[in-house]
Amino acid sequence: MSPFLAGLTTLTDPTLVFLLLCATLGGVVIGALPGLNATTGAALLLPFTLTMDPVPAIALLTAIYCSATFAGAITAILINTPGTSASATTCLDGYPMAQRGEAGRALGLAVVSSTVGGVFSVLVLMACAPILARAAYNFAPPEYFALTLFGLSMLISVGGGSAIKNLISGAFGILLATVGTDLLTSVKRFTFESPHLYDGIGFVPVMIGVFGISELIAQASRLNEKRERVTMDAIKLPSKEDYRRVWKTILRSSGIGTFIGVLPAEGATVASMIGYNEAKRWSKKPEEFGKGSPEGIAGSEAANNSATGGAMVPTLALGIPGSPTAAVILAGLLVHGLRPGPTMFTDQAEFAYAIFWSMLFVNLLFLLVGLYGARAFARVTLIPVTVLWPCVFVFSIVGAYALDQSMFDVWIAIAAGILGYFMRMYGFSVVPLAIGLILGGMLEQRLGQSMVMLDEKWWLMLSRPISLFFFILTVLALFGRPVFQLINLTKATDRGV
Amino acid sequence: MAIPSNSTKFSNILVSIVIIIITIAAIYISTTFKKMPPILKRGIQPSDFPQLICGLIIFLTILMSVFDPVQKLESVTRQTVYTFMAILLFVGLVPLDLFLSLGIFATVLAIAWGEKKFARLCCIGIAVPVSVFFLFDLAFSIRFPRGVLTNLWYG
Repeated sequence: MSPFLAGLTTLTDPTLVFLLLCATLGGVVIGALPGLNATTGAALLLPFTLTMDPVPAIALLTAIYCSATFAGAITAILINTPGTSASATTCLDGYPMAQRGEAGRALGLAVVSSTVGGVFSVLVLMACAPILARAAYNFAPPEYFALTLFGLSMLISVGGGSAIKNLISGAFGILLATVGTDLLTSVKRFTFESPHLYDGIGFVPVMIGVFGISELIAQASRLNEKRERVTMDAIKLPSKEDYRRVWKTILRSSGIGTFIGVLPAEGATVASMIGYNEAKRWSKKPEEFGKGSPEGIAGSEAANNSATGGAMVPTLALGIPGSPTAAVILAGLLVHGLRPGPTMFTDQAEFAYAIFWSMLFVNLLFLLVGLYGARAFARVTLIPVTVLWPCVFVFSIVGAYALDQSMFDVWIAIAAGILGYFMRMYGFSVVPLAIGLILGGMLEQRLGQSMVMLDEKWWLMLSRPISLFFFILTVLALFGRPVFQLINLTKATDRGV
Repeated sequence: MAIPSNSTKFSNILVSIVIIIITIAAIYISTTFKKMPPILKRGIQPSDFPQLICGLIIFLTILMSVFDPVQKLESVTRQTVYTFMAILLFVGLVPLDLFLSLGIFATVLAIAWGEKKFARLCCIGIAVPVSVFFLFDLAFSIRFPRGVLTNLWYG
């Protein structure tokens, strides 16, 4: 049986289907709660998957990813507060439509657009990931080094921080990744003679800390925020007229979202912003945007959900996370002893296809959950923060402990949480820190291997076409935007504006 | 360019200095790493990569302090201070028992954030930690550190 079909047969396991249903429901709850998002949800769920087999474990994480990304729209539409940052643009038209008494129509549009976007991106994932992996199969360490460097360069536009602060945060993550025993020479670095640090700083406690505990501390200063709530009529599918108006927008945004998702480190938030802007640019009624335009909701939601499948392409095929949540999933793959990259499609092809099918299944599942359960899920936003966040802390601490059954990991999680809070306080995003921690080890290992391979002549990396291609992309990613802005500024000055 | 306020200047200088001090300390520590003989060093010395990253951080921090000054975005409220105190309390109580300290932390935090309903406090402080303990102990076979309460179960 081909791996493609063998992957499909994993969905005949009723236990897996039940787990996916639970994870989808859990993901919708997490996404609907302001402050919690897919990344935090996946980081908190990761310790629960430790005793599972790799397929259900990673399938659960991807289910949380897909469903939480969609569910951000529920709060965006009903209380004008995006459940996840990826749904921020959904507020712009979803909430005005809900205020007109059409909350059900807005949610219906969001559900259908999200499903189409999600399914489209998983189909692209199924088609492209093996091709990309085959292309990368002949990569040597210099190519991987250049690719990892490119992945890290994309951190400049991830999260909410500025480019320079993102790079500092990412570099600090890479520095943290050097703690422990150097894999190439077995020399101990920054261990301070503590055996707990010989294996380095674990991904899981740091992620739980920076995404979960730091958010808890940040929430303390937002307790007095008041939210307006609209009443929701029965949720209903978009009308034929709605379909006629938005189908092109959904398809366009699905394509945009998938492409943005494929770019390393770019995630659903960037995708939804571009999807929304393009929907407005191509619309025949751009004046309706911001006042409850169905195209605005469709453009944003199709794009942010299609970024989920797109983000899994580089994560599985190259081992470079396509988004912050994909970084947590990558950590999950590594914790379960799997090695993402080209060999995944030769040595573990059945596993890879099982994940693809699971994602497709989850995208169809949340169509049902969204249409029939949105009214109930909207009620989770009524959970008081005084109940929610203490529970998040309990899960964070127990989750951090569970990985290695070590109290040291608990202290790491708390330290990472406090660090993450101060980083947020001063405008640094924590996402680059987490991605830097994951990719830092790979970067150094590949640099070392490249130096051995090229006889310590690092400049020979530039003579290899694929490495050179990625180095050029890295330079463009780092300096393209400032140079472009400078050119625009010069033009404006010349025109005397 | 807008003229930065005194508090922004202070935040900018403070954060930049803290980052640079940490990085210089890391460079200093990295000079104590063992040096490998040329035949064993496998391309780069163990200290090279951390020093390269530290150099990059210092360079970026200087760039940041000039072109992209740090600003304090989150305000520290009374509840934020209470949250930190609750975390300190948790850290102090852990040697006694992990789940006891989790229960106390959760209750204290909920009260500090304004929760007054007794039923909710019982749920947060007792039901949640107990359920999480049994979930991880029975379903995932996770063995927690012994303490006043966990000893009742472990014997």
